[in-house]
Order: sequence, then structure tokens, then C-alpha cells
Amino acid sequence: MVIDKVVNWARIKSPWIIHFNTGACNACDIEILASLTPRYDLERFGILLRGTPRHADILVCSGPVTLQTKDRLIRIYEQMAEPKFVVAVGTCACSGGVFQGCYGVSGGIDSVIPVSAYIPGCPVRPEAIIDGVVKLLNSLKNK
Amino acid sequence: MGNEETIKAALLQKFPQLEGKCEIIRQRRITLEVDRSRLIELLNFSCSELKFNILCTITGLDVGDDLQFIYHIANKEGIVMNVKTNAPKTDPVISTVLGIYNGATFYERELEDLLGAKVEGLPEGRHYPLPDNWPKGQYPLRKDWKPENINQQNKKEE
Repeated sequence: MVIDKVVNWARIKSPWIIHFNTGACNACDIEILASLTPRYDLERFGILLRGTPRHADILVCSGPVTLQTKDRLIRIYEQMAEPKFVVAVGTCACSGGVFQGCYGVSGGIDSVIPVSAYIPGCPVRPEAIIDGVVKLLNSLKNK
Repeated sequence: MGNEETIKAALLQKFPQLEGKCEIIRQRRITLEVDRSRLIELLNFSCSELKFNILCTITGLDVGDDLQFIYHIANKEGIVMNVKTNAPKTDPVISTVLGIYNGATFYERELEDLLGAKVEGLPEGRHYPLPDNWPKGQYPLRKDWKPENINQQNKKEE
């Protein structure tokens, strides 16, 4: 269908994101912000940071999921409109990292919600974030 | 070291049982150990008479059979006094310092949550910093506690 193709094209060209810190040490958050600012300029892919999950297509999570943020993360995920994607930024978000097995930590993002792209690194470099995001967008093209 | 010596002398004069348990470890740092029954009296004296009216934080430790609590109190000149007190694990009761230092609520709640201390006089409240559904009787900062304790219970719930 032509309309489907147009909608898909529009989605890929304007993937709006919401950033949520699920318990990160702030290093990944700083790198995410750095990649959004003009030096690395994620906006050239149409990526905009939104203030609410209801406007966003991609949930960018940083940090291991602590037991305190677990319920909030699920709530934010459920508020997003379909189709939605989750990007785990940083080693902690991918697997729990050094916090794996800690009493206050549930594990990586995928222990709570499904994840579409994993970007490892401690902290991740902005280039890695751009690479991960572009790979995610390319995978959408084929759908 | 003038001021530290004066403070130490004033403490020893008021509490002679501190003899040998109070020492100036370096410039602007005083450490002393006090019995838990005299803790409130000592903190009261330090706060009102010696003007140690800033509670920096409370540290909780598991030292084997005992739990140790260190009250880090400071005055405006930047002198920090570490007041240590012990309570046995079988009876880990200490009284609250809320009457002296108003900001102590969260420090004391943390002691209750993570080390299982019983803070007498602390108003009832929610868990902090652990989540609300944390099982009772699990104190993750005790040395004999294992993460499996909680994981097994999580699995049972699932």
C-alpha cells in the first residue's frame, strides 16, 4: 500500500525520542545529551528530544533498572503510542553491568521491557549512540 | 589545634566516662565513642553548648556482633566530630536524634531499612531507600545477608 509506505517513510524521518534515566550514574545521560547537541547533531536524522512519552516513538534508557524505577519505567513504556522502540544505552542498560545481582537492581532494561537496540559502552561515545540509532532506523526501512 | 583541645576538654569535663575514648585524630577531626544510653545526652550537649549544630550524616556499620552508628556532627568552624555508638544485633535499638537535629529522618530511615536498626521515636513511614514491596526482615547491608534471600522470594511471587 502506498499509504503504508508514506507512513513508514515519515516515521523513519522523524523518530522522536524520550530519554529516561532508570538508575544511571549520569555519564550515559551526558553522552546522550552530547549526541543531541549541534556538535554531533542527531537532529539531522530527524531525531528530536520530547518532554513526554506520549509524543515519542523511541524510549532511550540509560542505566540499570533499579527496583524503585521499575514500575515507573513500565508506566512510561505503556504511555507511548505504537509503534514504539526501546534503545538501551550503556553497558548497565544492556545487562546490568557492574550492578548485576545487586540488592536494589532488577538487571538490564530487557529484564523489564523489550529492547530493540543495545548500545554498549561505559559510558557510550556519542558516535556509538549515532551508530546504534542509525542501525535501528535502517532496520525499520525493511519493514 | 587550639579549638579542638578546648572542645575535648569541655567534653571530658562534662562526661568523665569518655576518658581514653575521645581523641583528636587530626586537625579539625575529633572521634569519640559513647555508650548508647548516653548518646542523646552527649549530642544534646554538643549541639547546644559546643555549637555542633550541623548533622552531616549518620553512618551505619555491621561490625560482627554489633551494629555501629557514627554521627558526624560539625560546627561552623568546620570541625567534624564523629560520635560512635554500638548496639548489639540481638537488640539493635537506638533512640532518634530528631529532637536535636531535625534533618535526621532520612538518615535514620536508611539505618532501619538497610541495617535493620530499630530507631526509637522515629515516626512511622514508608521504606527508604528500598522499594515499598521489599520483604520484611531483609537487611541488605548486613554482612551475613545474601542477594539470594530476596531473589528466591521474587521467584516465589512470579
